[in-house]
Amino acid sequence: MRDLPRRPLRAAPDLRHHRKVIASRPTPVAWLIAPAALLFVLFFVLPFAVMATMSFFSHNPVSNPNAVLTFRHYQRFIDDSAGIFHEALLSTLRIGLITTAIALAIGYPLAHWMARMQSRLGHALLLMAVIAPMLTGIVVRTFAWMTLLQDKGVVNTLLISWGFTEKPLPLMYNEFGTVVALVHIYVPFMVLTLTGVIGRIDERLEQAARSLGASRARTFLEVTLPLSVPGILAGSLLVFALSISAYVTPSLMGGTSVLTLPMLIAQQVGTSFNPGFAGALGVILLTVSLAIVVAYNRILARLSGQGNLA
Amino acid sequence: MSAARNRTPFDAGRAVYLAVNALLVAFLLAPIAVILVFALNPTPYISFPPVGVTWRWFDKFFSGADFMNALWLSLWIAACVLVLSILIGGASALALARGNLPGRAWLTAFFMSPLMLPAILTGLALFQSYLLAGLGRPVWGLIIGHTLVAVPYVIRTTLAVLHNFDRRIEEAAAVLGAGPIRVFFEVTLPLIRPGVFAGGVFAFIVSFDQFPVSLFLVQPNGETLPVVLFNYMKFDLDGAIAAASTVSILMALSVVLILEKLIGLKAYVKL
Repeated sequence: MRDLPRRPLRAAPDLRHHRKVIASRPTPVAWLIAPAALLFVLFFVLPFAVMATMSFFSHNPVSNPNAVLTFRHYQRFIDDSAGIFHEALLSTLRIGLITTAIALAIGYPLAHWMARMQSRLGHALLLMAVIAPMLTGIVVRTFAWMTLLQDKGVVNTLLISWGFTEKPLPLMYNEFGTVVALVHIYVPFMVLTLTGVIGRIDERLEQAARSLGASRARTFLEVTLPLSVPGILAGSLLVFALSISAYVTPSLMGGTSVLTLPMLIAQQVGTSFNPGFAGALGVILLTVSLAIVVAYNRILARLSGQGNLA
Repeated sequence: MSAARNRTPFDAGRAVYLAVNALLVAFLLAPIAVILVFALNPTPYISFPPVGVTWRWFDKFFSGADFMNALWLSLWIAACVLVLSILIGGASALALARGNLPGRAWLTAFFMSPLMLPAILTGLALFQSYLLAGLGRPVWGLIIGHTLVAVPYVIRTTLAVLHNFDRRIEEAAAVLGAGPIRVFFEVTLPLIRPGVFAGGVFAFIVSFDQFPVSLFLVQPNGETLPVVLFNYMKFDLDGAIAAASTVSILMALSVVLILEKLIGLKAYVKL
C-alpha cells in the first residue's frame, strides 16, 4: 500500500509553484498581513494569555490588592472534592469520542457518494443538502432535535402511534440525545473533509484492482479505504475538537444529567462568578484542543504536500 | 465500467449503497423540515402531528420587542463583522499567497485556529481581558470576538480563489505598462472578488448564528438573537422559536445559493 502515490496521478505538475522557490524574500504584499496579525495578537493570543494568567491568581490581580499567585484552582480540579470535575472531563471526552465515531460512520458513505457522483446537478444538490444544515445556527439545530426527541416529540409520538412502545422512550435529557444532536451538527464537517480526500484518490487505481479480479468490497477495503485514511484522521480530529467544545447542545439536550467541561466553565462564570477557576478549566480544555489542532495541521500539511490549507 | 454496471438487471450492492445514502440525507434534512412544520402548527406547545396552519408564531416573533431588538442587534453586528472580516481576511489572504512570508504554512494554520479551538474559550478569554482592562462588555468587543471566528472563512475562500489564479495575467498587465497599484485594482481585485465576497457571506452567517463567543460578551439587556433564543428555549418551547428558526434557515438557504453563484460550493470541498 505504501508504494501507491499520495497525490493523484492525473494532476499535472503545476509549474506556477516553482516560482516561489526562486523568490524567497518577503514582497511588499506581505505587509497586508499586518491588520490580521494585530487583531490576532491583541484579541486572540493576548486574551488567552490573560486567561491562563488569571487561572494562577487567587483574585482579580488588577482590582484586588490581596490577589496572590496560587495553584489552588488547579488543585481544586485535581482534588475534585465534590466528585464532579473529573466526571465532567470524562463525559466531555466520551461524548466527543462517540460523536466522532458515529459522525465517521455516517459521513463516510455520504462523502464517498459525493466524491464519486457523476451528475453535476446531483453533486450540487447533495452539496447543498450538506452545507445548508451547516450554515443553520447551532441553537436552531438543537431546537430541531428537542422537538424531535422530547417525550411528546415527533419520534416518540410516531413510535407510540405505531405501537412500538407504550410509554415515551427517554430520548432526550441524557447523553443519547446529546450525541444524536451533536452528530447531526458536526457530520457536515466530516463529509466535506472526507469528500476532498476521497475525490483526490485516482479512480484508475480502483479500476485496476477491479480489472485484476478484486471484488467491489475488496477494492474498497484494500484500495479506497487505506488511501482515505488521512481524510478519516483529519475529519475525526476536526469533529472531536468541535464536539468537546460544544456548549449549547449538551446544555439543552443533556438537561441535568449531562455535565461537560464547557458547561462547567459557563457555570463558573455565570452563577459562581469564579473567573479564576473558569480560567483553569479553560486552560485544561485548551490544552486538549491545542494537541488536536497540532495533530490536525500535521495531517493536513502531509496531505497537501506544502501545508497549504486553502 | 459504469455502462457495464447499468446493463446488469439488478445490482443489490448498489441499491443498498443508494438506500443508505438516501437515509443519511434524510437524517441531515429532516430536522430542518420539522422546524418549518412547527412554525406553522397552531398548538400552544410543540406537538405532533400538526393540526393546522397559522401565522401566529411569526406574528409573535415579529411583534415581540425582545426578539426584534435581538434580531436587529444581530443583523447590525453581522454587518460590521462582514465588512471587517472582508478587509482583514482578504488582505491577509493576499499576503499569505503573494507575500513570500516565512513560515507561511504555520501562519495559515495560526489564522485558521479560531475555527478549531473552543469558541467558548475565545469568548471567555476576551471576557476576562475586557474585565481586567475595565472595559466591561462593549458592543465593539463582541464585534471583534465575532470577527476572530469569521476572518478564517474569508482567508480560506480568498486563498482558494488565489490558488486557481494564473499569475501570468498580472504579469501581462505589468509588462503592458500598468503600475503595481493599477495591476492590483484592475486585475487582481476583480479576480479575487468572488472569493472575498463568498467569505464575507460566510462571515455574516457565522456572526449572525454565533452563540459560544457571544455567551460571555453580550450585555444583560443587549443580547443577540441566538442568546435570546437559547434563554427562551430553556424555559419555553413554542412555535415562536420555530418561527425564529425558520428565519434563520431561510437565511442559511439564501447564503448557500449566493455562495453557489459566487464561487461554486465546490470550493468548500477542501480542507
